[in-house]
Amino acid sequence: MADLMQLNKRLSQTAATAEKRGQFLAFTLGGEMFAMDIRSIKEVIQFVSLTEVPLVPDFIRGVINLRGSVVPVIDISVRFGRTVTEIGRRTCIVIVEVDYNEESSVLGILVDSVSEVLEIGESEIEPAPSFGSSLRADFIAGVGKVNGKFIIILSVNRVLSVDEMASIGVSHDTNE
Amino acid sequence: MDLDKAKQTFIIEAQELLGAMEEALLTVEGQADQAEAVNAMFRAVHTIKGSAGLFGLDGIVHFSHTVESVMDRVRSHQLSLSSALVSLVLECHDHLSQMIADLQGGDPEPPASREVGQGLVNRLLPFLEGKGVEAGSAAPVVSRQTSKVPESEQGSWHISARFGADVLRNGMDPLSFIRFLGTLGTIIHMAPFVDGLPGGEAFDPETCYYGFELDLETDADRQTIEDVFEFVREDSRIRIIPPHSKVEEYIQLIRDLPEEERLLGETLVAGGSITAKDLEECLQRQKQESYEGGSVQGRLLGTILIEDQAVPPPVVAAALDKQKKFQERQAHELKVVKVQADKLDKLVDLVGELVIAGATAKVLAGQTRDDRMMESTAIINNLVEAIRDTALGLRMVQIGETFNRFRRIVRDVSKELGKSIDLEIHGAETELDKSIVEKLSDPLMHIVRNSIDHGIEPLEIRKARGKPDAGTLSLNASHESGSILIEVSDDGGGLNRSKILAKAMERGLISAGSAPSDQEVCNLIFEPGFSTADSVSNLSGRGVGMDVVRRNIDELRGNIEIETEEGLGTNIRIRLPLTLAIIDGFRVGVNHASYVVPLDMVIECLDLGPFLESEENHLINLRGEVLPFLRLREVFRINEEPPQRERVVVVQYGETRAGLVVDKLLGEFQAVIKPLGGLFRQIRGIGGSTILGSGEVALILDVPQLVQLATEQKHAPLKRLPALPVIG
Repeated sequence: MADLMQLNKRLSQTAATAEKRGQFLAFTLGGEMFAMDIRSIKEVIQFVSLTEVPLVPDFIRGVINLRGSVVPVIDISVRFGRTVTEIGRRTCIVIVEVDYNEESSVLGILVDSVSEVLEIGESEIEPAPSFGSSLRADFIAGVGKVNGKFIIILSVNRVLSVDEMASIGVSHDTNE
Repeated sequence: MDLDKAKQTFIIEAQELLGAMEEALLTVEGQADQAEAVNAMFRAVHTIKGSAGLFGLDGIVHFSHTVESVMDRVRSHQLSLSSALVSLVLECHDHLSQMIADLQGGDPEPPASREVGQGLVNRLLPFLEGKGVEAGSAAPVVSRQTSKVPESEQGSWHISARFGADVLRNGMDPLSFIRFLGTLGTIIHMAPFVDGLPGGEAFDPETCYYGFELDLETDADRQTIEDVFEFVREDSRIRIIPPHSKVEEYIQLIRDLPEEERLLGETLVAGGSITAKDLEECLQRQKQESYEGGSVQGRLLGTILIEDQAVPPPVVAAALDKQKKFQERQAHELKVVKVQADKLDKLVDLVGELVIAGATAKVLAGQTRDDRMMESTAIINNLVEAIRDTALGLRMVQIGETFNRFRRIVRDVSKELGKSIDLEIHGAETELDKSIVEKLSDPLMHIVRNSIDHGIEPLEIRKARGKPDAGTLSLNASHESGSILIEVSDDGGGLNRSKILAKAMERGLISAGSAPSDQEVCNLIFEPGFSTADSVSNLSGRGVGMDVVRRNIDELRGNIEIETEEGLGTNIRIRLPLTLAIIDGFRVGVNHASYVVPLDMVIECLDLGPFLESEENHLINLRGEVLPFLRLREVFRINEEPPQRERVVVVQYGETRAGLVVDKLLGEFQAVIKPLGGLFRQIRGIGGSTILGSGEVALILDVPQLVQLATEQKHAPLKRLPALPVIG
């Protein structure tokens, strides 16, 4: 819990100065490390019980009450075509803001754990590989090099495209 | 800056007046007694002219003057209000609106607008050249020459003005009043009053020390003259003394007033010898003096009026005489306060938070088992409930305003298409949430246009079918068990089943050989891009529209259904919730989750076991009435064993009744509706979400959609009430 508070403090402090050297939140999901630009991240909260919504695609885990607003929680592991994320002691919900119809929409992402805020210079970021990754190419914003290791930087607006996710709901609903 | 503010007031007022004028114009045709509508139009143009004069907006003054002169002739029955004239005045109305809009845009009178204005004025001129009665006005513009009062009786008005010290600071120029008075008639005599002017250092260039005594010869009435001073009335002393000849007139007028109970002041106002503002001021003074003097009564109103020279003594005497005949009675009038819409929205938001916080407090108080604590939270919650209802009530507006806008559209569009269409409006006073009304006007517009364009047939076909020449389009609004029902019906050709089917097959929406029900066929027209119109007109036929309509209605948590009879007409029914913000809900539990059913729809609750009629057909026997039911866990595909004892919530919406089978009944509670957002826009059966006292999120069921969903899943056939169409 104390870790989270420190992390959130760091998030709010760095958000303003994140322009030059990109800052990224690193987190683990299904044993793999990912990162995403912290400019779209509002905060990270501990997993709280969520309310399941019936008849929606599996990657929508449910909704939570975030200080009076109802926020949907996405299991991006399912969205990547992988397994359903198990809820554990270190499970967190990363609250992000994504573009939607010229406005912004607030969503939560379920992750196994959050690790740290990384600074990655532009020169250390390679474009997404055109093939070979198990992820859809457009989900990847780039591949960052950190301490000699590679880390996939997710394109938040693509992974969490509200339009795309909402229309997946349609096909799921009408294929009966 | 203050002048800008005053101008803004002028713009808002002008827009309101123009709205009233349009309404009057659209309703005047076919009315037996046109006097009121004509007066309303006249007043609108007249007031706009007067106020525009204050701001030196010559273009508007000039144009509205011509319109006013025409209206004046109509008012005095020198001219009859033909359909052509109504159309022309409507165009003038549009032009005036445009001029006001230009003014707001900061560019008064662009050249193009001036041309339009001149064109309209030229077309108005023939109406000013009277047919027979009085030689009247050869030169219609600039000065009023049509006089109702013969020259000899027309004395001069005496106007005495002492401007308030802040008049200049408020952005008013005293000279502009004199200038404007000059447009009302002829200024015979004027003497400035500068006695208050201090010398030397005491002189403040920003303070107004000016006043004047002025004699004005005009046939304008008192209200008109007084309106000139509208913006300075508050801090200036303005006395308007009628010409002597008028005194007799006033006395006569007061004697002729209809016999009803009035106060002295009201009598004088009704007779036109003082205006409402004069009266208000004198009454204010009366009150103040009585307060200062310590006496109960203060000076009598009549005394004040006479001493302040607002009204000549004989007039007051006549009015007092009249007053004596009746008992004093307080006039009961509707008082209205204007509030900005966003303030109300903010209030409703806060009330929503208050309701949630109240629910949390109630849960916590219940856990303490402290009776006094529980009692006080119960009282607070009752108050919160009352505040909630009041706050939501503030946002309720009548739908009539929205409906009235269609008069113009029906008129214009039917003219364009060469069809004759009567618009009937019922239930204009039905109230619903402002935020819903705003989102409703676009979909309604689509439907109305569709009805005019495709629904109502051209004249020849109507004649061939033996229908009256004029088509009828009616807009109805009414309340119906916790929701509002809006109907748009026409007596046109109805939906052509075979045409829709052919089109649907062509587009692959249904397979050849299938036999959809009438309702299913109707629902096809809500498919995106669906249009059976042979030709694309500029009104409709492009097939954009009905799918947008349905989406808009869905967003409002409403539903839409069509009832049509080929050759006889179409009836489109829209059901909407009364409010989007807070509802009374009934909480039910299924598996681990809880759901909320709008309480208005709940009829009763029972155990499933004793009432179960047929598990196979999903029917219950409710004291002899056979009712279909749906299991929430089946519809929501929750694959877990149901509990031993299942419960049924009997719901009704519109004419449809059904049972919802749930695990637990958790009781009533106030649900603050939180929208689920764009991600869930395709979700069905769920209308929104709410936050429980425990902080958990609960989903609000959209019962009509849920029933439809269950029907599609072929779980339960719907109960059909005799002779009524089924929904979904």
